[in-house]
Amino acid sequence: MATAFKRKGEHFVARLDDIEREVVVGLMQQVLELVEPEGVEATGDAFEDLVATIGVPRLDEAGPVEEPEDPALARLLPSGNRQDEAVASEFRRLTEHGLRERKAANLEAAIDALTGVTGDKLTLDRDQAQAVVVALTDVRLVLGERLGLRTDEDADALMERLEQAGEHDIETMLAAYYDFLTWLQESLTLVLMG
Amino acid sequence: MEVVSIAPAEQELTDLAEESDLDRPWITLVWNDPVNLMSYVTYVFQSYFGYSREKAEKLMLDVHQKGRAVVSTGPREKMEHDTEALQGYGLWATFQKDE
Repeated sequence: MATAFKRKGEHFVARLDDIEREVVVGLMQQVLELVEPEGVEATGDAFEDLVATIGVPRLDEAGPVEEPEDPALARLLPSGNRQDEAVASEFRRLTEHGLRERKAANLEAAIDALTGVTGDKLTLDRDQAQAVVVALTDVRLVLGERLGLRTDEDADALMERLEQAGEHDIETMLAAYYDFLTWLQESLTLVLMG
Repeated sequence: MEVVSIAPAEQELTDLAEESDLDRPWITLVWNDPVNLMSYVTYVFQSYFGYSREKAEKLMLDVHQKGRAVVSTGPREKMEHDTEALQGYGLWATFQKDE
């Protein structure tokens, strides 16, 4: 049974049992697969390939970069400008690859922090706690999108449905995960703020 | 011919118009969403911008109650950088020219 995060000196300590940890790590892994940049195809030109691996847009890729079709992925990589599609597209072309890489690296760091332990006690240093709190956000954004949360009222209604739910369908399970992650993230955020 | 004296005046007007456009700063906005926690949004404003708890909470409440808030102001490059960083934290940030 999980306990909220507490500050212990320079560390942030909580308890998560095997099942809870498995759920959190499993969800982080799914989001990692969703967000990590797609494989870079070799062009045969050594310079172009090198440029592609460091995330700089290729010279011949001057065309617009579309918003992802999957709404959950689109929420992780949102439009950077709501007024001008051309500006938004150019911003996406320049930044999306890097944003995906940073999110993927952060999720990997969070997964490492949660898996490198035996027993229920989880002790995080500040860097690990920062990685986990951001990774929890990305997981909740994806779950929130899958659960159809668009407004604050949607989120309140979901929690009411969860409290009254008698059946164990997929939506109830996702809502329960979402609720658990919300609680976990809130407790970690509060101790990080000190 | 009169035309000669008109040309510089027109040029000057254009310059002035461009100048005032350039002077208008760019802004970074954060938009409300149903997922991000009030505590977390405050935490991000404090840790990324180095804002005081008080200022960070006020901005967070603006986002929550008004639907969006201007969280930084300055040159376009800096606003693009802030937008990218805040999106890294999972906030829905955008940049635009100040209205």
